[in-house]
Amino acid sequence: MTEKKEYDVLVLGGGISGSESALNLAKQGFKVILVEKDLSLGGKMIHLSKVFPTLDCSACITTPKVSETARHPNIDIYTFSEVRDIEKLNSGDFQVTLVQKPRYVTEDCTGCQLCEDKCPVVVNDQYQWDLVGRKAIYVPFSIANPRIAAIDIENCSLCGACEKVCPANSIDFSQVEMQTPIVVKTVIIAIGFNLFDPTLIPRYGFGKYKNVVTSMQMERQLVPTRPFNNVLRPKDGKMPDNIAYVLCAGSRDETVGNPICSQVCCMYSTKQAQLLMGALPMADVTVYYLHIRAFGKGFCEFYQQAKGMGVEFIKGKIGLITEKENGNLLLRYEDIESGNIKEAEHDLVVL
Amino acid sequence: MGKTIDIIKEKRSVSEEVKGRIKSFNRLKKMILKSLETGGKTIPEIAKETNEETHVITYHLMTLIRYGSIVTGELDDNDEYYSYEFKQKQ
Repeated sequence: MTEKKEYDVLVLGGGISGSESALNLAKQGFKVILVEKDLSLGGKMIHLSKVFPTLDCSACITTPKVSETARHPNIDIYTFSEVRDIEKLNSGDFQVTLVQKPRYVTEDCTGCQLCEDKCPVVVNDQYQWDLVGRKAIYVPFSIANPRIAAIDIENCSLCGACEKVCPANSIDFSQVEMQTPIVVKTVIIAIGFNLFDPTLIPRYGFGKYKNVVTSMQMERQLVPTRPFNNVLRPKDGKMPDNIAYVLCAGSRDETVGNPICSQVCCMYSTKQAQLLMGALPMADVTVYYLHIRAFGKGFCEFYQQAKGMGVEFIKGKIGLITEKENGNLLLRYEDIESGNIKEAEHDLVVL
Repeated sequence: MGKTIDIIKEKRSVSEEVKGRIKSFNRLKKMILKSLETGGKTIPEIAKETNEETHVITYHLMTLIRYGSIVTGELDDNDEYYSYEFKQKQ
């Protein structure tokens, strides 16, 4: 344990909410410590393509915010760190143990990525939602902040090639976990959200059928730093031309413990459908929904705009998804308007 | 900074899973690159030639593109599959 540090505010989470909170408080003169468990600031938003309903570039909103946060003199940032044991003191302040995990790369790293070329280990890239591989030493993503490599020690082959090739001598395998006691006057919890695990609904086939993807995987396919060279099917690299969206996948469903509406899947699916019409002009996009909940400012117009662009909306509940030999998917669904059970074939399904 | 790899080697060993990953990636990399020696190919064509599943080829091929060994070529006549080829050395 090292010397105790004191701050006005501890912000837990370096996503868009945490960064905004930290920045606003720092601008008012408060001393802020921002703790992020991931290797970079930016949270989920920095990985999105566009925002709805304005279709502004998501990274263009997040990146300047993150840079300003990182440069502000009143904010101390700890990435790849967590807090343990928040305890309220008699004074009303909180005593917190800050845990900094070793990244095995020092701040001298220039982000040149020469180490990545030499690293022999390939594992799933969590920032591309497992659609492509990354190396065991890696810069998290191109607009990461800080843009410093890290070593995934669990998957490291301990070959030392990165240390040999690093021109900045920034590899440091002697790093260990560090614990620092801090005292803060207040705590803001901005820890974001976890995405629903679609394997909890086996009838949708996620994990079993490679052409059933999550909306976050599709989101990554729609950004310029995409995992593939275009929007492609993970199963065979085919450019899809008949894409289905299954709404309420994991929400409004008692069986998976989420009985209420996510309030977001209607609109991000509508957004992605519009972006797909741009990326793949010849593709058909069909959205299977229970109710369209376009409740925010400009949302209904955005939905109408998608319809106007040719996105088909079918009020239907998907019962089962099965795969054909060619990788296409058969969706068995209840057409709620007619009450009939129907089947439709698509070459890519987004949950 | 000096050589620090020996410090971590005293504390950790490499798991069998990691050794397996290295082997598997090298095997697939070799097969994909060999397949492309005869010219640009689509993912199903590489999969057929290497007798591997198409999704395995997709994943590894895209990883090789990322690390600069392969580049994307033309889209086929049906606008379905891209071909992939060796990156020309400068």
